[in-house]
Amino acid sequence: MRNTWTRRRGVLPGFGLTLGYASCYLALVVLVPLAALAAKATSMTWERFWTTVTEPRVVASYRLSLGASLAAALINAVFGLITAWVLVRYRFPGRRLIDALVDLPFALPTAVAGIALTSLYAGNGWFGRYLEACGVKVAFAPLGVMVALTFIGLPFVVRTVQPILEDLDPEIEQAAASLGATRRQAVVRVILPELWPALLTGFALAFARALGEYGSVVFISGNMPMRTEITPLLIVVKLEQYDTAGAAAIAVVMLAASFALLLAINVVQWRCLPAARGRV
Amino acid sequence: MSAIGAISGVQPGVAGSAALTEPRWVRASAIAVMLLFIGCFLVVPLAAVFVQALERGLGAYAAALVEPDALAAIRLTLLTAAITVPLNLVFGVAAAWGIAKFDFPGKSVLITLIDLPFAVSPVISGLLYVLLFGLHGWLGPWAAEHGIRIIFAVPGIVLATLFVTFPFVARELIPLMEAQGTDEEQAALALGAGGWQTFFRVTLPNIKWGLLYGVILCDARAMGEFGAVSVVSGHIRGQTNTMPLHVEILYNEYNFGAAFAVASLLAMLALVTLGLKAVVEVRSRRQLAEALRQRGREGEA
Amino acid sequence: MSIEVRHISKTFGSFTALHDVSLVVPTGSLVALLGPSGSGKTTLLRIIAGLDFADAGSGPVLFHNEDVGDRPAAQRRVGFVFQHYALFRHLTVFENVAFGLRVRPRRLRPPRREIRRRVRELLGLVQLDWLADRYPSQLSGGQRQRVALARALAVEPNVLLLDEPFGALDAKVRLELRQWLRRLHDEIHVTSVFVTHDQEEALELADRVVVMNGGRIEQVGAPDEVFHEPASEFVMGFLGQVNVFHGRLEAGRVRFGELAVEVPPGEAPPGGDVRIFVRPHDWRVDRRANGEPTLQAVVCRLNAAGPHARLRLTTPAGESIDVEVPHERCRELALHVGAHVFLSPKQIKLFANGGAACGARSTIREFVTQEDRSLLATGP
Repeated sequence: MRNTWTRRRGVLPGFGLTLGYASCYLALVVLVPLAALAAKATSMTWERFWTTVTEPRVVASYRLSLGASLAAALINAVFGLITAWVLVRYRFPGRRLIDALVDLPFALPTAVAGIALTSLYAGNGWFGRYLEACGVKVAFAPLGVMVALTFIGLPFVVRTVQPILEDLDPEIEQAAASLGATRRQAVVRVILPELWPALLTGFALAFARALGEYGSVVFISGNMPMRTEITPLLIVVKLEQYDTAGAAAIAVVMLAASFALLLAINVVQWRCLPAARGRV
Repeated sequence: MSAIGAISGVQPGVAGSAALTEPRWVRASAIAVMLLFIGCFLVVPLAAVFVQALERGLGAYAAALVEPDALAAIRLTLLTAAITVPLNLVFGVAAAWGIAKFDFPGKSVLITLIDLPFAVSPVISGLLYVLLFGLHGWLGPWAAEHGIRIIFAVPGIVLATLFVTFPFVARELIPLMEAQGTDEEQAALALGAGGWQTFFRVTLPNIKWGLLYGVILCDARAMGEFGAVSVVSGHIRGQTNTMPLHVEILYNEYNFGAAFAVASLLAMLALVTLGLKAVVEVRSRRQLAEALRQRGREGEA
Repeated sequence: MSIEVRHISKTFGSFTALHDVSLVVPTGSLVALLGPSGSGKTTLLRIIAGLDFADAGSGPVLFHNEDVGDRPAAQRRVGFVFQHYALFRHLTVFENVAFGLRVRPRRLRPPRREIRRRVRELLGLVQLDWLADRYPSQLSGGQRQRVALARALAVEPNVLLLDEPFGALDAKVRLELRQWLRRLHDEIHVTSVFVTHDQEEALELADRVVVMNGGRIEQVGAPDEVFHEPASEFVMGFLGQVNVFHGRLEAGRVRFGELAVEVPPGEAPPGGDVRIFVRPHDWRVDRRANGEPTLQAVVCRLNAAGPHARLRLTTPAGESIDVEVPHERCRELALHVGAHVFLSPKQIKLFANGGAACGARSTIREFVTQEDRSLLATGP
């Protein structure tokens, strides 16, 4: 038996051990719990499932979650692109510090981000004070949700665009310039098309992350039913009401949305990468 | 203004012709926009944590940290990380070895499954374990019968953390080990080394920076996780509260000073993480780049 | 220690890398496995090393008449030099060479001082003792190659196997290392097999050359033997440049184009359609017909750089022929582009034709350089 394996797998040892262990661990930690969710959701009747996930309060949360996540991801796409561009292309004091700081939302616990943003944008906070004087309410309003989601999604676009920009062959810009393109033409016609897949991927990742985010949002949103409740919060609410089936139903909807996004990201990368690889 | 005054052109090789970089005013305003964006969204919130933590003086700050519930939360957070990080480390190394060093059908499916926890909302991660071990869950009644408490207890917190930090190490290592290939391992085997000798003497030194990088990310998330842990913890003070949960409780009690004091500890942890990350990332990227360069050379030959 | 493989086959999925290959490598010899990429030469080497295993049903791999086919690489005591060296990038040169000794089980491991002495000695042998504390990334390609060799020799291997040992080096270093390896082999006499796709390298370095193609061995022989007496069209074509013609064999004479050449009895295939191979330096070039049957042609390109003048000629029928003549001859004939010349082959090689005749044409291969020919001329 051992011999046939080595014959098939080459000479390195450990194929059975590592993959066997990894698969078991994966099954125990990830797959069994997911199966429990699937079982719970399928134990409901279709009708009950449908009424749960289309309750007005739940639908309002979809609207807020989708809208705020989309807005946050768009903001991150625009400013993330600028940030990546500046970090890669320009030299200025403090550049490395800022480069390191971009990952802060990955490293800072979301609860800390949540209370910090809330205190800033509350009516008596450093920012909130001036914003409310202008009649803009951020904390405990949908706008606050968007601010929190922008914070936690910030690194995605920067970190997907940055390496592509770094690897971009300077010769293609020189070629564009030698062919008589102005700088603006070179950027718009030559560089941006190269960045497009990465930008789209970063956008989708930020969007996906925002959809599922909980910790930073619950503090700043105020959690008012129909107005500032996000979908993950409703799962918690259902759980607190001991409605595990209802929580599972909403979770299934959210998972379906995330997987669809994940699939979309993979399709984008799968479509764009062969072209990028062939270029060399 | 001095920052903008010091802006030089683009990278050395490219600088020179006006057609190869943007006009000065464009560069300056791009940097200004970036600084404003990073400032508002990252720097000021971070500063706010520390300012508000220290607002009532060092005495109040220290008192908030040595209070028994806070200490219990710190202990639990450290315990959780001490359990989950090594488990996910071993898994990550094993999975990366199996995936990167061998070819087998279903490889890409396995990689996707490993990434799965990243696509799941933290709240859902917690929910999964409630469904599994809760009173009406698959294993809940069995656990209750045997007097094992999982949900609203430490095991639940560990399991939920395990889930959300599951992919970090494997994700760092798989591309690195794939890029490094199996040449050096084969050389070690041909020189008479055994499997474990090959792993510890050849593979491990080659992946150490990537591994460390994954561990740092994994640890930061394990200590800072909020959503998943919040669902399974039950928020029992002094018993099932991790630091982020403790922050939440204090904040909801309008005890802002104490909340920000504990939060400042987590923020410092985040800053240490970023610092380590910056150092290790450079090295792990170098390791990967070197491996890829070698690959490139092989491709040409 | 001799190496023998019998009836080895190896498939990767639907691709057959080796078809029933058998080979004997005598003790102390230096053998080249020569072939184009995909010919199975590296696979054969890796099966000898124990880094790959032959398909079930294959014959044994024998080291000194002992079957080692089921032993993993670690237990075969082979020195293997990888194409890209596979040096341990986190270890110094010294530690790389010492690795094979350090990983031995405690009871077989030499004491530390002995390891140190052996490694120093080997680094001296490959002339790298002054680089002992460097890391692989700080070395040049040629130096890495020699470290890889020292590392392979450190375990006192039964056999030394080298996979494209000079493949990743530039031309000048390659030439130096090749001569150095030959001298090293003459010094230590370990049975060695190396893989190469460079016929020049194989012909210069090896005692015996094994020409492989499509997973099969085409010919085994001494370098001059495979060069002058190629056993197949493939070997003829692979070892240097040839002009290929289609012709007919009739009554001891072969006709192709306007030429009819006597074929010594015994050398000729049974008859009928044949393919005629003429090496570029096997043409006699004249400005006027010299009584022998000749081909007329016009010089359409002349390259006098290099050890020989190289001509590209075109016949009235539009075929191209590559010819090499010594520079003196070129001057003597006052050759220039557009000059009319008469060609007659000094030596031809015939192979029975498999495919349909489709007129004479020439193929272009790499030139065999001067060194080879002088080597072959003075060879055993």
